[in-house]
Amino acid sequence: MNSSLLETEGLGLCISQRWLFRNLGISIPPQSFVGVTGPSGVGKTSLLRLLARDLQADEGKVCSHLQGGQNTAMIFQDLQLADGASALHNALGGCLGRHSGISTFFNFPKQEKEAANNWLEKFGLAGKSRQWASTLSRGERQRLAICRTLLSNPTLLLADEPVASLDSEWAGQTLQILKDSQIQKGGSLVCSLHDEDQVQRFADFVLRLHPSDPTSWSWETLSRRTES
Amino acid sequence: MRARVGIWITSETFPALPPNFSRPTGLYLGRTLAGLLETVQIALVSTLLAIFLSFIISLGASRNVSPPWLLWPTRMLLNMIRTIPSLLWALLAVVIVGSNSLAGVIALTLYSVGYLAKFFSETFESADLNAQKALQSLGAGRLQAFQYGLWPNARPIIWSHCLWMLEYNVRSASIIGYVGAGGIGLHLKLYAESADSWNKFSLVLLCILVIVTLLDFAGEKIRKSIRDKLEGTGS
Repeated sequence: MNSSLLETEGLGLCISQRWLFRNLGISIPPQSFVGVTGPSGVGKTSLLRLLARDLQADEGKVCSHLQGGQNTAMIFQDLQLADGASALHNALGGCLGRHSGISTFFNFPKQEKEAANNWLEKFGLAGKSRQWASTLSRGERQRLAICRTLLSNPTLLLADEPVASLDSEWAGQTLQILKDSQIQKGGSLVCSLHDEDQVQRFADFVLRLHPSDPTSWSWETLSRRTES
Repeated sequence: MRARVGIWITSETFPALPPNFSRPTGLYLGRTLAGLLETVQIALVSTLLAIFLSFIISLGASRNVSPPWLLWPTRMLLNMIRTIPSLLWALLAVVIVGSNSLAGVIALTLYSVGYLAKFFSETFESADLNAQKALQSLGAGRLQAFQYGLWPNARPIIWSHCLWMLEYNVRSASIIGYVGAGGIGLHLKLYAESADSWNKFSLVLLCILVIVTLLDFAGEKIRKSIRDKLEGTGS
């Protein structure tokens, strides 16, 4: 069994003739929380999209060690919800990959509905499951997008600023739920964050990107991980 | 100038005004209402059929759903359908199935498909595609991503187009009777051709106006309820 879920080798990305990062080599171990930090525009979102295979690298490669049945899923910074659908149907979008188009054409399986309702309840949206997504506040929409991704049951969860629109209480609670759910199933979480306190509180590893020099990224193992 | 208008628009110079609601015209009211009911039925059935057909065809005509080998033939087909006006469709349908309301249904269905499928495909192309892409990245198939990602965002505009088409078809169904395709158009033709029946002609026009206005009100109500639901301002 491989000791990492995902590795990058000499990874580099150039956008509009500017290198965001170069020669990036990281390894994401199972049951870990990897924080990605750096100022806005440094390339955090682009890195997550590279890891999700949504972008092509300009140099180097991403090696996935995920087994059959294990998957990667992303929480998008711009949420990407269906505004004209209910919160429940948006959340249920996460389970579509497990079912055929015919079986979900008229309705969703009962156990998927229960799982979606459980996530909605955990994220304080139980009373709003029938409301259209367009009527929810920004914070509620962000929690809904998280519910949808969690329902897809990913082994490697890539979260692009998942708590940017949440108050400090919900932000802490959300990061804890994300971390617990990933670690319980032996998965990992790669999460871009702006708040250094959150990084110190939740992350096991931190990747810091620097805007001035694309090769001067740093990878740190935080004390919590060293102790365990 | 005002005096001139007063001279020109009188019951002698323009016999359709005012509509005559006296007893003889009252007898025609029953016939008119029956014709009007048939007109609304033709419009309703043809619009429903057109919605169903247009939905399927529009998937083939949408750049973000359909492959190129299907896209251009479908668009060409829709262009050809739109080239033929509703009255010509009615004439063709009367030749094929005879002079009855079925001809009206066939004519208006084909005519509406040309427009609705075009509206639907343009709505699918211009709707927010992010949710569809997000679902595909989470493992959803093309159909699933369309159903749960794109369709909810496009749905309010699609319903709005359908209501407009229904209203349009009521007006069109009123005229296709001229060529024998059923509905109130036949009455219009008879009254227009008879020299002393302009008051009955205007009665028919008034009835059509009432129906179109009612549909306009109903459409506005439905659009408002969709808007309220989308913005969360409804009670």
